[in-house]
Amino acid sequence: MAIEVKLEDRIAWVNLISQKDNILEVEVDGVVYKVDLMHTADGTFSIIENGHSYNIELVPHKQPKKYTAHTLYKSLEVEIIDAEARYLKNRGSNGFSSNENTISSPMPGKVVKILVNEGDKVKEGEILIIISAMKMESEYSAPKDGIVNKINVKNGDTIEGNQILIELE
Amino acid sequence: MDQINKVLIANRGEIAIRIMRTCRELDIETVAVYSEADRTSLHVRYAHEAYYIGKSPSSESYLNIEKIIDVAKNSGADAIHPGYGFLSENAEFAKRCTEEGITFIGPTPEVIVQMGDKLKAREAMTKAGIPVVPGTKNAIKTEEEALSVIKEIGLPVMIKASAGGGGKGMRLVHEESQVVAAARAARSEAKAAFGDDSVYIEKYINSPHHIEFQILADGHGNAVHLFERECSIQRRHQKMIEETPSPLMTQELRDKMGESAVEAAKAVNYTGAGTIEFLVDNDLNYYFLEMNTRLQVEHPITERVTGIDLVKQQIKIAEGQELEFTQEDLFQKGHSIECRIYAEDPDNNFMPSPGKIYKISEPLGLGVRTDGYVYEGYEIPIYYDSMISKLIVWGKTRDEAINRMRRALYEYKITGVKTSIKFLERIMNNRNFIDGKYDTHFIEKNQEQLALSIPCEDCDDIVIIAAFIDYLDKIDKNRENNKEFAPAQSRWKNTPIINQF
Repeated sequence: MAIEVKLEDRIAWVNLISQKDNILEVEVDGVVYKVDLMHTADGTFSIIENGHSYNIELVPHKQPKKYTAHTLYKSLEVEIIDAEARYLKNRGSNGFSSNENTISSPMPGKVVKILVNEGDKVKEGEILIIISAMKMESEYSAPKDGIVNKINVKNGDTIEGNQILIELE
Repeated sequence: MDQINKVLIANRGEIAIRIMRTCRELDIETVAVYSEADRTSLHVRYAHEAYYIGKSPSSESYLNIEKIIDVAKNSGADAIHPGYGFLSENAEFAKRCTEEGITFIGPTPEVIVQMGDKLKAREAMTKAGIPVVPGTKNAIKTEEEALSVIKEIGLPVMIKASAGGGGKGMRLVHEESQVVAAARAARSEAKAAFGDDSVYIEKYINSPHHIEFQILADGHGNAVHLFERECSIQRRHQKMIEETPSPLMTQELRDKMGESAVEAAKAVNYTGAGTIEFLVDNDLNYYFLEMNTRLQVEHPITERVTGIDLVKQQIKIAEGQELEFTQEDLFQKGHSIECRIYAEDPDNNFMPSPGKIYKISEPLGLGVRTDGYVYEGYEIPIYYDSMISKLIVWGKTRDEAINRMRRALYEYKITGVKTSIKFLERIMNNRNFIDGKYDTHFIEKNQEQLALSIPCEDCDDIVIIAAFIDYLDKIDKNRENNKEFAPAQSRWKNTPIINQF
């Protein structure tokens, strides 16, 4: 079964060639890896590939099929793009995913101040909303010129990470 | 004064637990207070008793003096330990405790007031013969006055709020033309932050080292210092790494500065644990910066090299006991380093990263201590500081301590939120840090090297494989024969924390 996996900005084509218990052959963008893969009781993937030992922890997001993967060296954003995900994406019905028309905060926090109203014309770089988290304030500005279509929050609201706060036209 | 039997800890997070640990060793009962957001916080679970004191914003809970005093009285606590931050340097709080017959574990309200006002503190230190950074004796009234002062002491200068702290109401001035605007900006920021717009001018020390001395003073006129802590590794005027001994220090300078620190404490009749902060320039001139009239975040490195439990000493001093050691009894054994673990994104301007802790595995082994408060499944509140843990190591030599810190950081794994752990690892591998050649500009000066994560190209493909298999596994879970990728030891299928597709 082959699907696409998005890792940060890269989209990789992945295919499971064979499996015997925990020994798998997997193809990633044309490269075949023979790995010994165990899912340990503490929720980590222990993968041995060509003698190298990797520990990979996948933290699932609230949005389905998205993970943050932690390796020894770095943390990466991963998304599975199967037929269903592609369908939802095309319909744009994913309530969380952001694009150039939306403003969202990567972290949970509290709305300090909304500086615009629905219907306002805004310029690229204009500050639209201020969010505070852990004693620090962050300002979010318009990614492009446009009109404020919808504001989903109000001053003082507690927000989740990646929640869409403001939508531009 | 009487023996303390029950202590209310007017704080949260790691420091509340740190204080309770010592209380348990001393057979003292502990009373925790908590805000709405902290109901499941570890300090609440660790204490003998715990009481709700208000809504999540600290102004409605941890800063509510009367509410905390009420809880202390109702629970029969005979003392309050304020920790650091919150009410720890609030003279009004210390005064209210005393009025209600509750022992405040800290100095007198008068000393807190005197040291909290930077101009008064400078005046007291000058009187005691301790060098202060050259600058104005009084608040400056006009921009003309500022200009004439600057002519005298020379540029660059810092314009600082008299009531200041935390980097607020502070402006660095390089050119005369900036003075008027900078003074005005500092004034308005100070007014907004502290309700007091008086500012003063200090000479700006180039390439400064931030070195502080721990002191202990009892109510019987005895005072000692417990040596220095080097705190120059900072981001946004907040410390990230501290170590003792300081790689910059010489024995001669240590003796001199230690003596100054003790004199400073005696000059204001200080009681309890306190810290004298100094700036040290490259020529090893030192200047009094300020005094912190409380326990410091980085106190464990001093405990580690001296073997003295500072919280225990604070409690004994508050009970009216005499210090049981003199300066001659104290020495530094080996080397200790502390790394502060913040929930933040070091690769994105140190943006805070609150959220739920997914997995945590703490470092162990010889010479390692962690002071933290988060656990798996714990949601870090958005209302408070982003420091979630402190990692303290000890080694016989500085090299051994650095190697051990590197090893401990490798072992330390926290997921679910972003943390400073990997950034700290990069600092431990930085040549300038290893050579002990750094000042308060270290992070900006070494930006390039510190931004580099260790490359691992294979990792990417392996991550993709893991995610792919996890996905197949979840699809398979509805089928009967789903054992292939989930060996019997896997518990995660019924783990509610995982979102099922």
